[in-house]
Amino acid sequence: MTLNHSHSSNLAVVAKDLTRCFGNFTAVDNLQLEVSRGEIFGFLGANGAGKTTAIRMFCGLLKPTSGEAWVDGLPISRDSEKIKRRIGYMSQRFSLYDDLLIEENANFFGGVYGLSKKEIELRIAEQFERLGLTKQKRTLTSELPLGFKQRLALACAMMHRPRLLFLDEPTGGVDPIARREFWDLIYETAEDGATVFVTTHYMDEAEYCSRVSIMKDGKIVALGVPAELKRKHGTQTMEDLFLKLVGVSGESGESVE
Amino acid sequence: MKTIITIVRKEFQQILRDKGMLRMIVAVPIIQLFIFAYAVTTDLKNVKLAYVDHDRTSESRQLVDAFFTSGYFTSVGMAENQTKLMSWLMEGKADITLNIPIGYAEGIVRGNVSDVGLIVDGQNSSLSGRGRGYAEAIIRTEAAKLMENKRLEHPELETKMHRIVPVTRYYYNPELESKKYMVPAIVVLLISIISGMLTGMAVVKEKEVGTLEQLMVTPITPMQFIAGKTIPFIFIAFFELAFASLIAIFFFKIPFEGSVLLMIAAAILYLQVTLGAGLLASTVSQIQQQAMFTVWFFLLFGILMSGFFYPVENMPKWIYMLTYLNPVRHFMEIMRGIFLKGVTFSDIIPQFALLFGLGTLIFGTAVIKFRKMND
Amino acid sequence: MRRILAVARKETRHILRDPRSLAVAIAMPLIMVVLYGYAIDMELKRLTVAFLDLDRTPASSELQMEITSSNFITPVQAIPNRSEIESGFRRGMFRAVVVIPEGYSEKLATSLESPVQILIDGADGSTAAVVDNYLNAAIARINRKLASEAFGVETLPIEARTRILFNPQLISAHFVVPGLVALVLVMICALLTSIAIARERETGTLEQMLTSPVAPAQVIVGKVLPYIVIGAIDAALILAVGRFVFDVPMNGSWFVLAGYTILYIIISLGLGLLISTFAKTQQVAMIAALMGTLLPTLILSGFLFATSSMPFMLRQISKLIPATYYLRIIRGLMLKGQLWFPFETVALVTLGTVILSVAIFRFKERLD
Ligand SMILES: Nc1ncnc2c1ncn2[C@@H]1O[C@H](COP(=O)(O)OP(=O)(O)OP(=O)(O)O)[C@@H](O)[C@H]1O
Ligand SMILES: [Mg+2]
Repeated sequence: MTLNHSHSSNLAVVAKDLTRCFGNFTAVDNLQLEVSRGEIFGFLGANGAGKTTAIRMFCGLLKPTSGEAWVDGLPISRDSEKIKRRIGYMSQRFSLYDDLLIEENANFFGGVYGLSKKEIELRIAEQFERLGLTKQKRTLTSELPLGFKQRLALACAMMHRPRLLFLDEPTGGVDPIARREFWDLIYETAEDGATVFVTTHYMDEAEYCSRVSIMKDGKIVALGVPAELKRKHGTQTMEDLFLKLVGVSGESGESVE
Repeated sequence: MKTIITIVRKEFQQILRDKGMLRMIVAVPIIQLFIFAYAVTTDLKNVKLAYVDHDRTSESRQLVDAFFTSGYFTSVGMAENQTKLMSWLMEGKADITLNIPIGYAEGIVRGNVSDVGLIVDGQNSSLSGRGRGYAEAIIRTEAAKLMENKRLEHPELETKMHRIVPVTRYYYNPELESKKYMVPAIVVLLISIISGMLTGMAVVKEKEVGTLEQLMVTPITPMQFIAGKTIPFIFIAFFELAFASLIAIFFFKIPFEGSVLLMIAAAILYLQVTLGAGLLASTVSQIQQQAMFTVWFFLLFGILMSGFFYPVENMPKWIYMLTYLNPVRHFMEIMRGIFLKGVTFSDIIPQFALLFGLGTLIFGTAVIKFRKMND
Repeated sequence: MRRILAVARKETRHILRDPRSLAVAIAMPLIMVVLYGYAIDMELKRLTVAFLDLDRTPASSELQMEITSSNFITPVQAIPNRSEIESGFRRGMFRAVVVIPEGYSEKLATSLESPVQILIDGADGSTAAVVDNYLNAAIARINRKLASEAFGVETLPIEARTRILFNPQLISAHFVVPGLVALVLVMICALLTSIAIARERETGTLEQMLTSPVAPAQVIVGKVLPYIVIGAIDAALILAVGRFVFDVPMNGSWFVLAGYTILYIIISLGLGLLISTFAKTQQVAMIAALMGTLLPTLILSGFLFATSSMPFMLRQISKLIPATYYLRIIRGLMLKGQLWFPFETVALVTLGTVILSVAIFRFKERLD
């Protein structure tokens, strides 16, 4: 399974027949996907659709049962170590060390990515300024409100200036203002040239994405620019579209494109 | 290398911030050391002796006195008859009873053999056995003294009498204090608990909170993670070792005859075992308690079969053979040897070799299992 | 009652669903009884002795033979000279050396006393004392023989007639196995319940349950009920192994034992409950239960180590530990056939009342 190189060079994520089973349950079923560089790609789907499983495969945390995927042009089956240097990941249960100061958390992740002391200082100053964390630098992470914890997690995931960010439900449980601010940050990141691959259950957030896919039972049932998708399926909002595609009545198996 | 240092630094930041952890590292071991050193004793002291003296002569009183001046027995009083002695034994008021019959002194004078009755509460087999041994030895000594007196009365017998006189000397611990033997072993216990449990718990904590997954998407390799995670506990274990040894030497006055370097070398080999055990526990545990339980469980095995309380030779043959596979046993023998006997490397090559082999095996298995878990 | 059973049923499901805690509850005590029964053998079975014979006469070989004729004493390779003694001790090759000096046989034939040197590795003091006893007894036997050869009669003027009661063969397992019941019951009842309650507190389900019409007392009773059952099963298992594998006798009454065991289980549960009122998390509960109940029971109750040789302070602490009294009762019943324990009963009931009332008081207080 080879991929045309010139084709791959402007694609951030490619999945081809990507499948993952747990026992005889198929969590991700023959996934086909292409995400271009610089995109904010919304990866939508109901609970248990297989989003997290797919992302974990992209990040090298899980091995696919069959199929292949390329992240930043590198095949996940062979180059997961190289991939790790190029991506940032915020897991669904995003995790920081509660018992470290927020500065210590950032310092640690900088060190883990092999940044020099100087670079780390620079990045912390720069990012904390941007994310509005400078004042709380010496606060214990456990004492931060959830919205700030999420920003810190983002800062940690971006210490090494990754070209590609995987954000798995970054705004779960956060108030609308904090969510709005968080999305501003995502936009800024994308403007700097990074690709953002994000899952969410908030349909208003889906509207902000340059492209979205909607997953059901391990398969993608819709893929495209939000406005086009709505038009195609004749719905007013993304919410209606989502309900229509994955809802109880759900005409599943509807083909993509 | 830089990555490892980063992890180590983080680990220390976390440990220093956690008051409970600090307490566990500093206060708990001291308390354990003190309580164990005083409580885990196999000394024979204050054995409760009751007696009945039907003879009431100076000879019989001399025998009774011999018991109480020996230092092992304390008096619970004189009973009027055998029945009373039996009921005291039954109620647990007495551990051993002595019955001196009527005619005791007269028998001796006449050259007959006088029987003295001893009854021992045998429940605690070890203490009872030794208590009995001491009691009989006291009676033997008393008998020998009387023989001597007789000899003085009959100088003509002298040429016919011959006997062997044992002259006993104890090496290493002339007062036979069990404390001297137990304290170095308790030090082993402490560093096992600290390094094994804390390592297991620290790794599982990352699993529990989810940071382990976060780390696995960074370029950290499992080996770097393991190194970064265990190095702090190596430091802590050595801190513990030094701290506990100093208390042992300066407070408990345990002699330290051997070489510090040898002790450090043995400790490094042994830490492979405990850190490996902690790591192994972390691969089969989802939450910290499980890790703690698992380590505790194996440690209990190790301690019971190490000769900590009683010599391993006492065990049935098949268990005795199994104890060769017990790293705790080897490290304990090394530590006791270094403290009390001043063993040198050439004296303990077998223990060193076994410790090295077992340590490599355990740590190696842990590393392999850990890498598999993260695939 | 129905509510209590509902809580108990739920707790049972928790226990059954988590194979590891079930293993801790059932398999661990079994493993412990086998392990302790075999591994804690306090009787010295193999005493390794080396001889350094500088006399090399028939008389000195006879002395060696005579000493090694004792069952316990296993001779190891004789050592050629004194310089080997220390290195042998350091390597643990033998526990004692008998040095037969030059001129031993001559002295034995001509003079009153002929000295023999006994050198003992004293590091393990209590074993050394036993070693000394064995060797001295062996020599005393020889002396008696010499004397009877000389005079034709046994001339030791005093003879000890020793009888051992309650455990005549001095079998360690008979002492250790009944004690294990006390240890395991504390482990199950105090450790597991305190963790279980702390878990409910931690996850918030305790609050959930208490907002339902179930009364706090019902919650407590329902929660501890399954542990009472497990505790009773464990006690029965240990006693069965003790009886059929280690031949521990029962000289008293099973009924009386059952009665005291139930009392002891209730007290242990009280301890678990008490600890859970102090512990916010399972972690703390576990450490507190280990340090506060299991460890004291293990080392300060007389389970293995006689409290009589401990310092004053520790002896006082041991009086506050329920296991101290339960141990005396179970051993008294099984080994001695004692049936009447007035002092121990009063002590247990008093301790139990205090522990339970403080625990319940604190449990209620924590809810407000
Ligand atoms: N390690 C695992 N073992 C077994 N089944 C798993 C495992 N991980 C995930 N699954 C199952 O795979 C399915 C997909 O899970 P996944 O977490 O990928 O869904 P998701 O789309 O991220 O859902 P959510 O929106 O709730 O996060 C679920 O049914 C889940 O139970
Ligand atoms: Mg998910």
